[in-house]
Amino acid sequence: MKVEPMDEIIFADYLAETRKALKNQVLQHALADLQNRFGRGTALAYQNLPEGPDLRLKAHEIRMEAIGNLDVLLATLAGNVRKNGGQVFFAEDAAAAVDYCLGVAARHNARLAVKGKSMISEEIGLNRALANAGIEAVETDLGEYIVQLAGEGPSHIIAPAIHKNRDDIGRLFADRLKIPYTNDPPSLTRAARKSLREKFLTADIGFSGCNLACAETGHITTVSNEGNIRMAITMPRVHVAIMGMERVAARLQDHDMLLRLLCLAAAAQNMSTYVSYIGGPRWKQQVDGPQEFHLVILDNGRSRILADEQFREMLYCIRCAACLNVCPVYGKIGGHSYGHPYSGPMGAVIMPLLAGINAGRDLCQGETLCGACRDACPVNIDLPRMLLALRAKLADGDDRWNVVRADRGEKAAFHLWSWIIRNRRVYEFFLRLASWGQRFFPHHNGMIRRLPPPINGWTRHRDIHPPAAQSFMQRWKKGL
Amino acid sequence: MEQQAFIGRIRSALGRASTTAPNAADLCTSRFSAEQREILERIHNRSQAQRRRLLERLKEMAAPIHLNIIPVQDASQAAAAVADLVRHKKPEWGEQKCIATWKHPLVEDLQLANVLSDQQVPVYVIDPNDRQFKGLSAAQARQQLRTRVIASYIGVTAADYCMADTATLVLRTRPGQARSVSLVPSIHIGVIHIEQIIADLKELYALLLWDPEDRKEGLTNCMTFISGPSKTADVEATMVHGAHGPREVYILVITNSAAGQILPGR
Repeated sequence: MKVEPMDEIIFADYLAETRKALKNQVLQHALADLQNRFGRGTALAYQNLPEGPDLRLKAHEIRMEAIGNLDVLLATLAGNVRKNGGQVFFAEDAAAAVDYCLGVAARHNARLAVKGKSMISEEIGLNRALANAGIEAVETDLGEYIVQLAGEGPSHIIAPAIHKNRDDIGRLFADRLKIPYTNDPPSLTRAARKSLREKFLTADIGFSGCNLACAETGHITTVSNEGNIRMAITMPRVHVAIMGMERVAARLQDHDMLLRLLCLAAAAQNMSTYVSYIGGPRWKQQVDGPQEFHLVILDNGRSRILADEQFREMLYCIRCAACLNVCPVYGKIGGHSYGHPYSGPMGAVIMPLLAGINAGRDLCQGETLCGACRDACPVNIDLPRMLLALRAKLADGDDRWNVVRADRGEKAAFHLWSWIIRNRRVYEFFLRLASWGQRFFPHHNGMIRRLPPPINGWTRHRDIHPPAAQSFMQRWKKGL
Repeated sequence: MEQQAFIGRIRSALGRASTTAPNAADLCTSRFSAEQREILERIHNRSQAQRRRLLERLKEMAAPIHLNIIPVQDASQAAAAVADLVRHKKPEWGEQKCIATWKHPLVEDLQLANVLSDQQVPVYVIDPNDRQFKGLSAAQARQQLRTRVIASYIGVTAADYCMADTATLVLRTRPGQARSVSLVPSIHIGVIHIEQIIADLKELYALLLWDPEDRKEGLTNCMTFISGPSKTADVEATMVHGAHGPREVYILVITNSAAGQILPGR
């Protein structure tokens, strides 16, 4: 499945993709394994925090303060980055961000670009734009490299190739890197290391995302385990970092807690292997680092989310993927079913908000509202509340978000139901009708095997109890 | 232009006018507090015994992330440890063994060029101000140094601090202290003095914000945390070391208290 940039996103056929995912045994094993390790690891790590698990609540407050003052924070950040010699571009939408990136690349006659893993570059469709401009763009995170070689999109924010097993990857590398087939993970990693080292050392421009910026100091922070981001932003002549406008902390002091929580939430690590604080291009006397540093700050629909207090909380998200690692739905259907790199519970909220609530209805209706994502979130975002709010908009329509009522029949059915249960006699009548009618349906061991349409979905995978011969109220009247 | 419109959109989304926005300096300035003072005092008044305990903590946290901690008495022992690694480790990309180092008092004190001369291993000090580059343009010197870092299979750096709780080296970039030396070679050796070990990120941030020396310098344009060797788990969640950065990382901790005198800013 090819991932499209958001401006022309067509959500994948959620149900079809989901069915495919459920039948894919490789994916099912990988997802179960991922959730067992990371989901549990993170929960345990929260318990062991020196400040206790309530640190998440404190982090929530810090994010709330930052987002509530985003205008001041971004202006301060931009001012400090410029003071450090960096260049800042504010991009209203994906097209503006892509144009700017292409412009920088063109000014430096870039032929080869290396990229650190960044979901926001997927969001704006940077790879395709670079390719169209004749610039080879190489993903350098091993997982991203694998999915790029396979012509696919990532299926998890921090484990992009989770849907592929070692045999798939072995065949892919044999085919694309012309190496003898092997399915040994260390050998495969070495092959990628060798091939990508060439790219790092010859690339003209490096692109990265931004995990967290700090307004006070004018730095952006990137986090990785592989070292690919450090390579991509140290060796080429130019570094372009793209950040969602929400990814900023006011003070260095806030940064401490958020960074620790990010590492814990993403991979149950105390600290990721590499954390870089980048504040501008290299100085005159320095040997390495890029001669130009550009920071692209992207809106692309985020200010609309900011304006709606119901959804503002979504901007607290630091894209750690902890919610993917505990979600019972993501754990069965995988990332590709969501049709976009933002998947799992956070994707089910943010994608409809960014790309249209009607278009993304399956995403927010597919989640279970079980609350596991909220408990796993390092900044305690109430995702289930927002999923419900999105569903309410789909049920009733909403002018502000241009939502048309998704299902008129459903609304009518609930009106009818509401009328029935408020009228005792009518209700009793239907109870008796059901009690009498159920005998016409196939039974087995005292259970109904199949219900008729349109309620046959219920019995597709399980039986249902028949209504009791006498209702509770009837028995109550008879003195039980 | 685009910034004004952008910030304006955010402002109206927040429902406020520019006059009602809080002052940037108030909002974006860390505050010195009693807690911060306590942290600073704790760092500056650490006893030898407490430092030893931090070293033990560092060793304990380094083991599970495959980071090697080697305590040594003094510079000559540290140099011997480097020589030992050079003798036993083979280059990853070519045949020739050579190493790249920072220009930093702690590293210079090891006198690696002398120590490694019997193994005939060249030691490249990655310093653009080195005499041999006299007469070359800055770009030419830079190009030569880049080639040397890429050719080296071991990189030796110092560090600003080392956080015990997460087993993390903290490196700031300065002229002569290149980012690539801890990144491009297959093996990274960090040389620190025991006094540079601090407890955690909180202590680091307190130093960066309130210690007069550190505050003056700030985070520089590139501050890097390194916690162990490069790793990936992208193939079937199997952990493999050496994805793109160094495959092995060693921290040599010099424990002799007198050796700390040569640290910059002391």
